[in-house]
Order: sequence, then C-alpha cells, then structure tokens
Amino acid sequence: MGSRYLLNKIIQAIGTVFLIIVLNFVLFRMMPGSPDRVLLRNPNVTADIREAARERWGLDQPMPVQLVRYIGATLQGDLGYSFKYQGLPVTEVLAGRLWPTLILFGLGELIAIVFGLALGAYSGWKRGGTVDYIGNGTSLIIYSMPYFVIGMFMLGIFATGLGWFPTNGMFEVGRQYETAWQQVGDFAWHLFLPVLTVAIGLIGQYSILMRSSVIDTLGEDYVTTARAKGLTDGDVLRAHALPNALLPAVTLIAINLGFVIGGAITVEVVFNWPGLGTLTVDAVAARDYPVLQGIFLLLSISVVAANFVADIVYGRLDPRVRA
Amino acid sequence: MRLSLRGRMRRALVAFGVAATLVLPAAAPAAAADPVLKVGTTQDLDSLNPYQTAYLIGYEVFTLNYDVLVAWGPNNESVPGYAETWTPSSDGLTWTFKIRSGMTWSDGQPATAEDARWTLQYYLDAKKAETSLGAGYLDPYVENAAITGVSAPDATTLVVATSRKNDRILQMYLPILPKHVWKDIPVDKVGDFTNDPPVVGTGPYQVVEWKTGQSARLVRNEKYWGPKGAASEIVFQFFPDATNAMVDAFKNGELDYIRNPTGLQFDQLKALPGVVAIDSAGNGFTQVNFNCYAEDIPGGGASTKAFRDPAFRAALGYAIDRDVLVDRVLNGYGTLGTTQVPAWHRAWHIEPTGVRPFDLKVAAQKLDEAGYKVKGDVRYDKEDKPLDLSLMFPNTDASYPKVAQFITDWFAAIGIKVTSRSVDGGSLGTTEYLDTEIPIDGQLKYDMVIWGWVGDPDPNSLLQILTTEAISDASDSQWSNARYDELYKLQNEAPTAEQRKTYMSEMQQLFYDQAPYQMLYYDDELHVYRTDKFSNWKTQPVEGGTPFFVNGSINYTTLQLAAAASPSASAAPGGASGAPSAAATPSPSGNGSASSGGDSTVLILGVLLVVLGVGAAVVLARRRRTAEADE
Repeated sequence: MGSRYLLNKIIQAIGTVFLIIVLNFVLFRMMPGSPDRVLLRNPNVTADIREAARERWGLDQPMPVQLVRYIGATLQGDLGYSFKYQGLPVTEVLAGRLWPTLILFGLGELIAIVFGLALGAYSGWKRGGTVDYIGNGTSLIIYSMPYFVIGMFMLGIFATGLGWFPTNGMFEVGRQYETAWQQVGDFAWHLFLPVLTVAIGLIGQYSILMRSSVIDTLGEDYVTTARAKGLTDGDVLRAHALPNALLPAVTLIAINLGFVIGGAITVEVVFNWPGLGTLTVDAVAARDYPVLQGIFLLLSISVVAANFVADIVYGRLDPRVRA
Repeated sequence: MRLSLRGRMRRALVAFGVAATLVLPAAAPAAAADPVLKVGTTQDLDSLNPYQTAYLIGYEVFTLNYDVLVAWGPNNESVPGYAETWTPSSDGLTWTFKIRSGMTWSDGQPATAEDARWTLQYYLDAKKAETSLGAGYLDPYVENAAITGVSAPDATTLVVATSRKNDRILQMYLPILPKHVWKDIPVDKVGDFTNDPPVVGTGPYQVVEWKTGQSARLVRNEKYWGPKGAASEIVFQFFPDATNAMVDAFKNGELDYIRNPTGLQFDQLKALPGVVAIDSAGNGFTQVNFNCYAEDIPGGGASTKAFRDPAFRAALGYAIDRDVLVDRVLNGYGTLGTTQVPAWHRAWHIEPTGVRPFDLKVAAQKLDEAGYKVKGDVRYDKEDKPLDLSLMFPNTDASYPKVAQFITDWFAAIGIKVTSRSVDGGSLGTTEYLDTEIPIDGQLKYDMVIWGWVGDPDPNSLLQILTTEAISDASDSQWSNARYDELYKLQNEAPTAEQRKTYMSEMQQLFYDQAPYQMLYYDDELHVYRTDKFSNWKTQPVEGGTPFFVNGSINYTTLQLAAAASPSASAAPGGASGAPSAAATPSPSGNGSASSGGDSTVLILGVLLVVLGVGAAVVLARRRRTAEADE
C-alpha cells in the first residue's frame, strides 16, 4: 500500500477532526439558555455573582475570541474546566467516565461480534435449518428492541426478581477490598447484566449481516469449484467462503467500534452505569459546554480513527481495493 | 484449528463458564466489620467547596465535614456547635462566643477561635474587595447578621461586632474552615479551589473519596468533640435522572436511606417490612408565576396587559383547585400553598386572611368585576383582545405537565384559553430573566410559568425573590411593589424576632392579595429508610421532621447499631410511618412503571416469552418438515 495513500488518509482524518472541533463549539453555543442561568437558580444569587461566573467561564468575551481561545487550548491538551463540577478540569471529569463506557461497550461489542458472526455464519451455511430460523428470528426481534427494554427486563428478572445480580453501579458503593481479586470480582458481578444487555442488543446486527453475506458468497463460482474439487464442507467454509464473507462485517465492526465511546445513554441510565452516556445527559441539562465539547471531541476522534483503521484493514484484506 | 464452528462455540462457552465460576464467588459482598450508612439521593454533588455548591446534597456533605459556629438542635433551637456559649453585650451589638477547647482538625492541627475569626474575616475581606466568596451562596448569612468586625483575643474566645442588634448571627449556615488549609487562597479565587479529599474539618464525618456522578465516601472523625454515630462510614450515592434505579437499589438492600422517591414509589415502599417512610413538610414550594413586568416591551413581554393588574391575577386564584392538585398530582404528599413562606417555617408562616376557595363561578364573577368581560365563550382583556395565555414549564419534573393539564381545563371553563408547553430548563431560565446588558427588545416573552423554589433555614431568600431589586437577578415574576420592598428591608433589619414576624406577616398578606404568584402547594419531603442496620433514628424537628437533609448533621451522630439482626417494624420516634394523606387515587404517572408490580410482572413476562418460544418452535418445526418434503 502506497505511503502516499496512507499520508492522504491521515491528512483527511486530521482535517475532519479539526472541522468537527469548530462545529462542536459553534453548535453548543447556539443552544438557547446560558449555563449561568441554569446553574445559579438559587434565590440568593445576584447579578454580580452571575457576572463573576460568566467572567470565570470566559463567557463574557465575544464569540470569535472564545473560539480562538478554545482551539488554542484544545491543541495544547487543555480542555478547560467544567461548569457544573465547579472547577474540576474537564480531562479529569472525562477520564473517570471514559473507561467504564469503554469496558461496557467494548466487551459488549466483542461478545456480540464473536457470537453474532458465528451465529450468522452457521445460519447462512445451513440455510433453512433450525438454527437459521430460530436464531435469525429471535435476533431480529431482539435487535429491534430498544436497549432499555432489554435492560429493564434483565433487571426485573435477575436483579430485583431473583436477586442474583446487583441493580446498579459499577462497584458496591463504599466497600473496601482486601485483595485486588475481590475488586475484580465485584466489578465483574456488576458488569454482567449491563454487558449482557449490550451484547444481546447488538448480536442481531452482526448475525443478520453475516448470514446474508455468507449466503451471497456461497453462490459464487469459486465455491462451486472448490466443492467440485472435492474439498470437505468445513474446508470450503473456512478457507474460501468465510474470508470473503467477512469483508462487509469488517467494515461494520470498524464503524461500530468508533461509536463505542458514545455509549448508549439508555443502558447507562437503566443500570446507573457511570459512563460517558450519563455524563452527556447531565452536561446537556446543565449546559456544561466544556464537558460537552470534550465528550464530542473524544467521540469524533474515535469515529474518525475507526474509519481510518477500517480503510486500512479493508485494503489489507481485499487486494482488489488496493489496486 | 480443526474444530467445527459448533465445536468452537462450545469451547468458548465452557471457557467463559469456567472463568465465571472462578471470579463470581469473589464477588460476594464481604460482611462489613463496622456498618456503612448508604444514602441515596437524586441530586448530583457538584463541589466539595462549601462556597461553590448549589445543591442540598452539597450542603449536607459540608455540614458533615465542618461545624458551624452555632448549631441546630432536635427542634431547630440553637445549640453548641463550634462555639459552646454565646453572650450578647447589653446593647446587643457585640457577641462574645466561648469556643470549645481541645478541638482538633481531622488532620491533627488544633482547632481554635483563630479559625473561626479567620473564617468570618474572610468574608469581610471579600466584601471590602467587592467580590463574593466563590459563587456567593453563603455570603448572605454573614451579611444579614450585619457583622462589621471580628477578633479572637485568645484561643477560646471569639468577639464579633455587628452594626445593628439582631440574632441572625446564631443562624449562619457558614462552615468554620481550617485556616491552615485555606489561608493562601485569595478572596477572589475561592471559586477555583476544589477542596480535594481528604477534606479537613471538625465535623463528625469527612469526605475521603469523591467519584463525580457516582458517590462520595465519608469516614467518621474519631477526633470529633460530639457523640460518635454508629456508622463508621457514610456513602452518598447519586442517582441523577434515575429515581427508579435508586428505588430498586433501596428495595434490594443496597441503600439504607433515600430521599424523594415519587409519590407512587413512596406508597409501595411504605408497605415493606422493616422500612420507615416519612412524609414531612418540605422547605419549598411549587407555583404558577405570572409575568408582571409593568412596561411595554417591543417584541416581547406578556401577551396581555392584564397581568399588570393585581385584580386579574388574584381572580385567577379562584380557578385553581389546590386540593385536587395535591391529591392527584402529588398523591396527597403536599400542603395547599398560600404565601411565599412555606408552612415548614413554623415560626414565620401565616395563613393569610381572605383565602380564595376553588369556585369557577366566583372566578368568573371577579374577572367580570375587574373589567375582563366575556363575549360568548371567550373572555377579553381591557384592550379588547381575547385572552390567550401561554403556560410554560421546565422538563425536569414529571408533575408539571399534569398541573398544566388541570389549569388548562379550569381556565377554559372561565373563557380563558391556555396553551401549555414543556421547555428545557436552561432556555426557560433565560426567558424568565431580564438581561439588562442587552437591548430589551424581545425579552421576557412569557405569560405564566410553573416552577418551584427551595428555601434556606431562614425565609429571607424566598422573600427576596419578589423584591424590585431581584428583577434581573432571581426574580421570575418581574413584580415591583414599593411597600413590599420597604417591608423586606424592615424585616431583614428587625432587632427582635417578634418585630420581624410583624413585618413578615404583612409581606405575606400583601403577596397573597397582589398575587404575583399563584402558590400551588408546598411539596412534601419523602424520606424512606430501613431499620435493620441502624436504630435510634431521630428527626428534626422531633414532630413531623426527617432524620437527614435538615439543618446540621445532628441525627447522623445519634444513630446506634440495630439491637439484633432481625428487621423490626418499630416506628421511629417522631415522624409517623403512616402519612396523613387523603385517600388518594393513584395518578397515572408516566414513570416508575417498571418498578411497580415487581415480581408478578416479571413472572408474567417470563411465561409469555416461554409460550412465544414454544409456539415459534412448533411453527418452525412444521415449516421444516414441509421444506424437506419439497426437496
């Protein structure tokens, strides 16, 4: 793959991110309602206090000045201070919430990918079989259910119903752990239901895509040739059909991984999972511009990077593209 | 790599199962050595800096971290806090406080009168520099006590000079801060100080860990001068936008105490064994406020000049049935609203004379008398425009749309059309606010708004929002009344409580008659807690109060361990577990449907799913047989 191609892609990616940064800034400022009015709805507040707050947040400067300041600061890695969590740096607020979302959705996606692709491949291979009908049908039904319905269902049966799992949060609040293993165990126990919810919600996506992709591939000439040559079914599937059927799935995977950071707000709210989804909702309600800008910067970088990787990987996998 | 797909899946499942069995037993919660008190709240803590926090949870946290100079006892009477005794001089202008000796900060440094002197002087310095301490929420406490000077002649004596005789100095919700931690922060940079954990204070518990958006953990201060509460730690868990999750966690035993579930959830929780549910008068109100701005605004302002007429505003009060609202919207958990001082302030609240009952005929008659006549089905204002009013409310509370529906129907019956709209809190706050920095054109474009306010231990803050001075600050009614302003100043500077009460009573009557707000109700505080871990739950006040989220942290320190592990249904002293609510018909609430019914709904859903699954399998089996037959 030409280095000029690579360079081109990199420059495109950077340009997109920069444009998104500027757009983010402008869009949030365009929302009606200023942060000082939201945060300071306290009867003791006076115009002086509000003025001081606007000054401290840099909101008293004209827009272009704010924009230039913002771009300069962002390029230096300074994402500013949160309005709502008075005085906490945005990087600190985000850091605390980033990894819970990454783990929840990363793991959920991974499980959905592995099981979804396997289910889809098997369904496509044995089209019309039991697995195909039942598997496809249920995954379609579940895929069209919103996350929070699946989540509340899980909570209802396993948490408040049978009491096997906790109802919310990441760790047992306020608990002291004697060993690291205990902490990992507690985390896994809390993680189980949310991850299951995400995984179940996403399996359908991959199984349906993989199924139709495998069916398409099986209709190709080279598969007929392979069969004619006397190769076993397993060999045909593994060596010839699957690699080609995976191509569309790769693109889908890459794009979805880019959105892992966005989290799904509904799952996080149902399980009170302290990730970026709940942070986004709170920040929007509080008009916490710096935090919102930080979140969307993260998200856009992640999506652009994921697409970039998808381009490269796809080029690697499919020699036809590289030419 | 010779395994088939199915074989590989099987291997993966086995591996996962093995991993699970290794990890899950370790996840079983360890039996705590000393019990931890877990409190759930729907507010999200915004700052550990007492000068910066805007929320009740922030006040609750700093009231545990720190002492105030004079604290609040079981019935809100003044009791020793940082100071043991206090004596006014003969002319009432100088107060001498005897500071308890032998106190230490939680980091070991001695806590003396010098720290108290420094804390008050901090405010005086900020005032001189014409800035507020942080967000300025705590400044009014010192300002209203009229403090002009402070000195600490020795380690246990604090002398405070005031410019007028008053006793507000005993009501200051101001934490005494450790000078050695705060002294290097300039008065104009107080807002930037994050006061990171471990917080240094003299209070009964200090914050050692804060996970924003999740929880804050406090440990007992073993050096505390007062009684030691039985809880070795307190953990506040935040559930912003997640009341259902909070209630589920409580039902599951993951929380010991929760504040403000919805009325419907409260009713369910009441019935659980070993649980005490308290319904107590709250320090706040919900109102419909009108746009009373007295001048024309090009492109903005209210849709009719009628709102400038007190007779019009007052007449509308006859068309609002508060009994029905409390019953159907709050599930009975509230008190009828009249004046701007909630009934919670037992010493200050008065019931005005001439209370308006709900009577649509009287409303129509009063409106006619005031000059707002009806032609056919439609009522007109004095400019001969049909009355078509907008009613807005923030999307932060599920009860507001219901209230709006009722009001729309009642007003329609007297010929007034009402169009209601849910608006995002941020933009509504801006709409209601007069910005004097920009041209007035297009501003204040609203007629009526449903919203609420929460009060302080002192009613001053709620009185203040209706003054002329508050326009472009906190005022959401733009009401201006010279006599009200005069009375506000008088009550704030009154030398005795009796005098103050006289002025405040007149203010309340004036407010009721002029009706810049139609007060709907005083929302109740709904607190629920379990009695299996801790006992000796006390409330403040003793009659009808709640244990936590009151003035000061006294009830945390009087908790004891439950006698035995058996959950007793013993009622807590004070607040009754049966709320004196009217037999309320449950209002059709849009939330909480998942947590209601609990197990039975789940069982039904489970059975349904099994039936569907079996049905699907049968159908598919028959299709397969047909397919095979075709081949």
